[in-house]
Amino acid sequence: MNDFLINWLANVPVTAVPYALAALGLIVSERSGVLNLTAEGLMLIGALAGAGTCLTLGGYPAIALLVAMLAASLVSLLFAILVVVLRVNQVIAGLSVVFFCQGLTGLIGTLAKWQNKQIAGLGNLKIWPLSEIPVIGRIFFMQDSVVYLTVLIFFAVNFILFRTMLGLRLRAVGENPAASDAAGVSVSLHRILAIVAGSSLIGLAGGYISVVSVKLWVTGMVGGRGWIAVALVVFARWAPWPALWGALLFGCIEALIPHVAAAGIRVPQYLMLMTPYLATIAVMVWVGAKDRRGSQEPGALGQPHVREERR
Amino acid sequence: MHDLPGQATSQLTAPSVAPSRHLGRITLDVRQNLPPWKQAVFVGGSLILGLAISVAILAAVGVSPVTLASELASVLTADSLRGVLVQAAPLVLVGLSASLAFRIGFWNLGLEGQMIFGGIFAAAVSIYDIGPPSTRLLMMGFGAALGGALWVLLVALLKIRFRVNEIIATLLLNYVAMYFLFHLLYGAWQDSKTAFPQSTPFRPFERLGDIGYGINGGLIVAIVSVLLAGWLIHLSRIGFYTRFISANPRMAKIVGVPVQTMTVCIIAASGACAGLAGFVNVASQEGRLTQSFSNGYVFSGVLIAFLSRNDPIVVAVVGFLIAVLFITGQTLQVFYQVPFAMVQMIEAIIVIAVASSEFLIRHRVRWIR
Repeated sequence: MNDFLINWLANVPVTAVPYALAALGLIVSERSGVLNLTAEGLMLIGALAGAGTCLTLGGYPAIALLVAMLAASLVSLLFAILVVVLRVNQVIAGLSVVFFCQGLTGLIGTLAKWQNKQIAGLGNLKIWPLSEIPVIGRIFFMQDSVVYLTVLIFFAVNFILFRTMLGLRLRAVGENPAASDAAGVSVSLHRILAIVAGSSLIGLAGGYISVVSVKLWVTGMVGGRGWIAVALVVFARWAPWPALWGALLFGCIEALIPHVAAAGIRVPQYLMLMTPYLATIAVMVWVGAKDRRGSQEPGALGQPHVREERR
Repeated sequence: MHDLPGQATSQLTAPSVAPSRHLGRITLDVRQNLPPWKQAVFVGGSLILGLAISVAILAAVGVSPVTLASELASVLTADSLRGVLVQAAPLVLVGLSASLAFRIGFWNLGLEGQMIFGGIFAAAVSIYDIGPPSTRLLMMGFGAALGGALWVLLVALLKIRFRVNEIIATLLLNYVAMYFLFHLLYGAWQDSKTAFPQSTPFRPFERLGDIGYGINGGLIVAIVSVLLAGWLIHLSRIGFYTRFISANPRMAKIVGVPVQTMTVCIIAASGACAGLAGFVNVASQEGRLTQSFSNGYVFSGVLIAFLSRNDPIVVAVVGFLIAVLFITGQTLQVFYQVPFAMVQMIEAIIVIAVASSEFLIRHRVRWIR
C-alpha cells in the first residue's frame, strides 16, 4: 500500500503540469477580457510541433518544447486577429480555431508519418542529495526539469500580472476596456499580446504531453485536457495559484487511473477513464453551489471593444 | 453653444499640421444597416475566399484542383447522390439540434454525446427486443430521441441549478458518453461471434433501408424533423417565444412568457434531434452500434447552424452541401490518402471566413490621414 501511494504521488507532477500550464496560459489571456476556448486545439499544435521537432532533429527535447511554444503562439495569432481585430463572436472563433487545429494536426501528423513513433524525450532530473531522502525524494526531487520550470513560470507570471505596469494594464483592459482606452492604454495591443503570450504556455503544455510524458504523437492525443483546463480557470477564479492547486487535484485523479489497474483493483477500465471529466463537472457544480454572489471573472470577459461604438 | 462645432473641427484638424509624423490611422464606423444584397456579397465573397484557401491547401497536399472538380462532379451523379442523401440525414439532424439550442442562447456542444446516447437507446430497444417487430423502428427512434434529450437535460439541470457553464459541461460529457459506449462495446454488448468492439448487427426490420427511388429511411426522419422544427420556429407560438427570449429574457419573463419551461423544452428538443441523428447513423449506415459512429459531428452541427443562421429550413440546404463535402472527403481519403481531418479543417476555414465577413457587414473601415 505504501508503495502504491509513493508511485502514485511521484506521478502526479507529470499529469498535473499540462493542466497547470494550460490553465495559466488561459488565465493570462482571459485576464485581458478575451474568452479563450482555444486550449484544446493549441495544445494539439504544441504536442504535434514538439513531437515533430524531436523526430526530425533526432532528440533535443528542449528545442522541441520551444518550437511547441512558438507554433502555438503563431496559430493563436489567427484567434487574436479574429476576436480582437475582426470582433468575431469569441465562442465561435474559439471553437473554429480548436477544430481547425484538430484538422491541421491530424493532416500534418498523418502526411508527415509522425503517428505512433517513439521519441527519446526528456529524462528525469535527480537533485542529489535531496533525491536520496526516502519518500519525499521520489516525489519532489526526481522529476523532469519542466516540473521545476513550471513552478518558476507560476512565480514569474504572478509577478508580471500583479506587480508590474504591464500586468496592471493587461488586467485593466480586461476589466474596463473603455476606461483603459481613455487612459491611453491600447486595448487591441494588450489583448493580442495576452493571447499570444498565454498561448505560448498552452503550447508548452501540449509539447509537454507529447515530448515528456507520453513520448509519442497520436492524433487527438490531448483528449479533452484543454477543456478541463478551461474549466480549471473558472474553478481558480482567474487567479494563478488556485489554478496550480486545481491542476494538482486533477493530476492526482489522472495519475490514479493506471495505478488502480496495476494494483489489481478490479474496476471497469472505461468507467475509470471517465473520472477526470466527471471530477471536472463535479468541481464546477461545487463552484456554482458555493459561489452564490457571482464569480470573479474579468468585467469585460467575452466582450469585444470598438472605440467608436457606444454601449 | 454655436461655436462648439468650430472648436471641435479645429481640434480634429490639429494632427494634419504635421503630416510627416504619422501616416494616419484606421477607424471603424458602426453601420446600422446595410442593404441585404450587399450583405450577401460580403458573405458570398468570404465564402469563396474560404473555399479558395481550402482548395489551395488541398493542392499543397497533392490533390490538384482539376481532380477535385472531377471528384465533386462525380459525387453529384445519380449513383453517388444516394450516398450524399444518406450522409445528409444525420448532418441535417445535428444541424437542427445545434440551431434549436443556439436560438435560445444555449451553447449545446454535446451533440456527439447525445448522438451516442441516441444510438445506445436505439440499440437497447433492439438488443432487449422491446415491442413487436412492426413498430420496432418507431420504438428505436423514440428511444433515441429520449436518450439524446435526457443526456442534454442533465446539462440543463446543472446550468439552471448550479450555474455550470454549458459549453464546458457538454464538451466534457462527450468524453463521458464515449467511454460509456466503449464500456458497453468492450463488455456486455460486444458481438460474441466476431469479438469486435461492436454490437451484434440489427435484424432487417430494425434497419432504415431504402424505401424506393433511392430515398433512405433516415432522410424521411430528417425531412419530418425539419418540417416540424420549421413549423415550431416560424409558425407556432413557441417560435415567437424563443425569439422574444433570445432578444430580451428579462422582458419576456415580465410579460409572462414561461421562460424556464420554454428553455428546458427547446434544449430537450435539441438533444432529441441529436439523438435521432445517432439513431439514423446506427440504423442506416452502420447497421449496428459501433465505436465511432458519432465522430466529427459536433463541429458539423455548429457549422450548419451558424451558416443557416439557425433557420430550420435553411439547415436542410446547408446540411445537404456539407454532406457533399463529407462524401468528397471520404473519396479523397480512399483514393488520395488525404486524411479525413481535412474535412474538419475545411469546415473550420469556412466558419472563420463567414464569421469574419460579419465584421464588414457591421463596420465601415476608414483610413483617416
